[in-house]
Amino acid sequence: MTRTVIDPVTRIEGHMRVEVEVQDNVVVDAWVSGTMYRGMETVLLDRSPEDAFYVTQRICGVCPISHSHASAQATEDALGIQIPEGGRLVRNILEAAQFLHSHILWFYNLAALDYVNPVNALSANIADTYALAEAAGTRVADFGAIQKRLTAFAQNGQLSILTGHYWDHPGYVLPPELDLIATAHYLEALEIQAVANEIVAIVAGKFSHPMTSVPGGTAFVPTVDKLDDILFRFLRVKDFIDTALIPDTLAIAPFILETAGYGGGCGNFLSWGVFEQSSLVPEDRYLPRGFAQGLTPETVSPDDVTEYVEHSWYDSASGLNPKNGETHIAFTGYNVDDKYSYGKAVRCKELPAEVGPLSRMVVAYLAEKGGQKLVGDVAGVRTPAALIDSTLEALGVAGHPEILVSLLGRVAARNLEAAYVADLSLVFVNDLIAALKGGDAQFWKAAETKTGEGVGAWEAPRGSVAHWIGIEKGKISQYQIVAPTTWDIAPRDAKGVLGPMEQALIGTPVADPERPLEPLRIAHSFDP
Amino acid sequence: MAKEEHGALYDLLAVRGVSRRDFMKYCGTIAVMLGLSEAAAPEIASAIEKGAALKPALWLNGGSCTGCTESMAQVDTPDVATIVLELLSLNYFETIMAAAGEQAEKNITDTVAAGGYLLIYEGSVMMGQDRLGNTLLVNGKTGIAILEEVAAKADAVIAVGACAVDGGWVAAKPNPAGATGVQSYLNEVGIATPVVNIPCCPMNPEWVVAMVVQWLKVADNDPATFLAKTALAQTTYSDDFTGNDVTLNYPEYIVSQTIHDNCPRRGHFENGEFVTEFGSEEEAKGYCLYKLGCKGPQTFTQCPVTRWNRSVSWCVQSGAPCIGCGGLNWVDNNTPFFKRLSSMEMGTALGNVQPGSVAAVVGGVAAAALIAHGIANKAAGRRGEGPETEEMKEYDRKKLAKKGGEK
Repeated sequence: MTRTVIDPVTRIEGHMRVEVEVQDNVVVDAWVSGTMYRGMETVLLDRSPEDAFYVTQRICGVCPISHSHASAQATEDALGIQIPEGGRLVRNILEAAQFLHSHILWFYNLAALDYVNPVNALSANIADTYALAEAAGTRVADFGAIQKRLTAFAQNGQLSILTGHYWDHPGYVLPPELDLIATAHYLEALEIQAVANEIVAIVAGKFSHPMTSVPGGTAFVPTVDKLDDILFRFLRVKDFIDTALIPDTLAIAPFILETAGYGGGCGNFLSWGVFEQSSLVPEDRYLPRGFAQGLTPETVSPDDVTEYVEHSWYDSASGLNPKNGETHIAFTGYNVDDKYSYGKAVRCKELPAEVGPLSRMVVAYLAEKGGQKLVGDVAGVRTPAALIDSTLEALGVAGHPEILVSLLGRVAARNLEAAYVADLSLVFVNDLIAALKGGDAQFWKAAETKTGEGVGAWEAPRGSVAHWIGIEKGKISQYQIVAPTTWDIAPRDAKGVLGPMEQALIGTPVADPERPLEPLRIAHSFDP
Repeated sequence: MAKEEHGALYDLLAVRGVSRRDFMKYCGTIAVMLGLSEAAAPEIASAIEKGAALKPALWLNGGSCTGCTESMAQVDTPDVATIVLELLSLNYFETIMAAAGEQAEKNITDTVAAGGYLLIYEGSVMMGQDRLGNTLLVNGKTGIAILEEVAAKADAVIAVGACAVDGGWVAAKPNPAGATGVQSYLNEVGIATPVVNIPCCPMNPEWVVAMVVQWLKVADNDPATFLAKTALAQTTYSDDFTGNDVTLNYPEYIVSQTIHDNCPRRGHFENGEFVTEFGSEEEAKGYCLYKLGCKGPQTFTQCPVTRWNRSVSWCVQSGAPCIGCGGLNWVDNNTPFFKRLSSMEMGTALGNVQPGSVAAVVGGVAAAALIAHGIANKAAGRRGEGPETEEMKEYDRKKLAKKGGEK
């Protein structure tokens, strides 16, 4: 038995530790720890609900828009505000831009380095690289110039962000030509994610930390001069997803097919739903609200959430719904046999639940198979079921969606979701243009009361986010947040049941416990 | 003309098809950002052309949301790839570095042992409960222990974003995690490494790049020259958590003017044309957001000039009032964000201490102007008065009540 620790887990948002017990080169036990506490919920008390909109987005600089939307929705729910149609469309556009930014950045700039070896790209044959790109249907770049640039970089002896990693690990199996293609797209992704965020800046002032989706709708008025700036950026981002992200995923998958055999985890999937339809009903969302145990769909509500702190550094009451939740810090030292995380053990229907693109795609897939039309009669949108079925077919496993419940499935689901959201982004812009043509678009509505309780349950790129608020006479009396990563990196609960990432780690092969590449891949697949 | 010796960066720019003309334009932009005249472009160009090994740098995340890293990824010129491949050797940068765990930690140890590196620090310094540093742990060590180890031997620290400057929102009352800023903490533990602060939440990446280039190319990678050659503004504030007065260095070009001074909506302010409701006709016309609580008149940053996300837009341009994230203790001082402050005594009574004595002067002028325009607006019969003003901050009210004062 060997105990292996990864601390810090890098290429994530925030601070996280993974500890695994390895026996005969397989993980047999796991502990995942969130190692930072900032106390946002406490900071919010006695401030105004609008202040929560601006402060809570600062819980995460990678998904601030989703937090700001969840916060605004919580206040709107509490104060009985139905946001106007213009506000809904602008928020969908903003959220879509952030999703596309986040998924592109995650695949190429955070997760890819677990599979792609830029050092190996130095030995690629340039002609073969073009041939491979052609065969894979992925976009070409000036591969020769990029290789020359990388060579100059490597020859100066300082590897900057690539320093110190085990590039000779046997898990790096791609041919140098594919490494070069993926590295070229790594560099291009840096540009494209910034283009997606320019949309955020147009609509909300800047990324990170957007300004405009204030409770009641949006402060952004989409005058005609801004529509082309938004539309053509979405087209450019969608082009990159179609001609790089998707074909690259399909080109890499055959080399790592064994990752379809482990990493599935708890098999319970939660989605609060994201991208609002006119009805403003969560079950109608373009990615609908739902829960699934395995591949069996169920309904779900924020009232189904409970948080336990038996293994977390808090001494407040355990087993509460966040509506009545408490957060009182009590650090007692890191001890995997007792308390070992600042994350609470959040549970849905008393079960650990995975959140994120895999969960959303599973819930959407099951909804579609059950007859729900996610995009109504709009033509030309690749829906989750169509994307999943065609991908399974391309990989030679048609009719076996259960294969998605794995490391490879989690990686693929995120990229397929990016394709769906890219299509949706154009739907949202066209809907907004149609609304503006109508000439009576409304963007913001004032609250009529100053007291109430509410919840905003929404989705960030990395998973389900919900904010619970209590407001008394215009001041915040209660605030609790369950962020996406709270779900996925949850520690053991009162009954000792492991959290989703902990369960996904068990059964993972580890070729070399000194260089734990495979557990790192599992951690990254959740985009924590 | 004699044959020039070119450095790695210049060669690489050439390989990538960047013309001499574009290169000089880039150097001119950097000169302006540094507050130098554009005539300094050749000096900067020659410094870049000289070339050198990449400057080692460590980017540490304290109590951060990674928003400043994200902001850095939105930089315009030079782009991210150039920064990490050809300008800095970022040997430690949790969010994007390949290595993790033990291998990542070794990068810190090796770089600190070799010396001659820059420390870029994002997020608040987590002093924790009872100042034990227990609210941030990395590899079994506290965040403050790592900061001490790395800052002590660094050439300089660039504290990026409001959290690193003074604790940011994390230090807002009641500051449950024990957060403070980098300068404040280094004062506490007696580390004299110079710190330069880059404000806002997140910080603007163009300002960081300008500082890095200033360091490498204008100050010749020398701490003393850097301090001598960089125009710095200083401001002193009182840190509630440590109880100490802390003096901060800012690049002067960032903090010498208010947002209000450079706001494209300023003309509407002068005309008394205000937005009084979000998403309204007045917003479509780009009227002034002061009545919705805009903190532009009391916030000293270059946001309207530099703008964000490769100069595409910035907060006020998108229709939202400035929330003053470039100021000190910005959450406590500026909430409720949508209320106007009844008093315009910037930089004094509200504790919103801002760089330079300019604050008081500008404050006085702006206050007078606002009163005049408030009247003008009413007389013109424009609809709505906007949100109510507040007499006193909620926390100050409570503090006062606790001390047995009124309310």
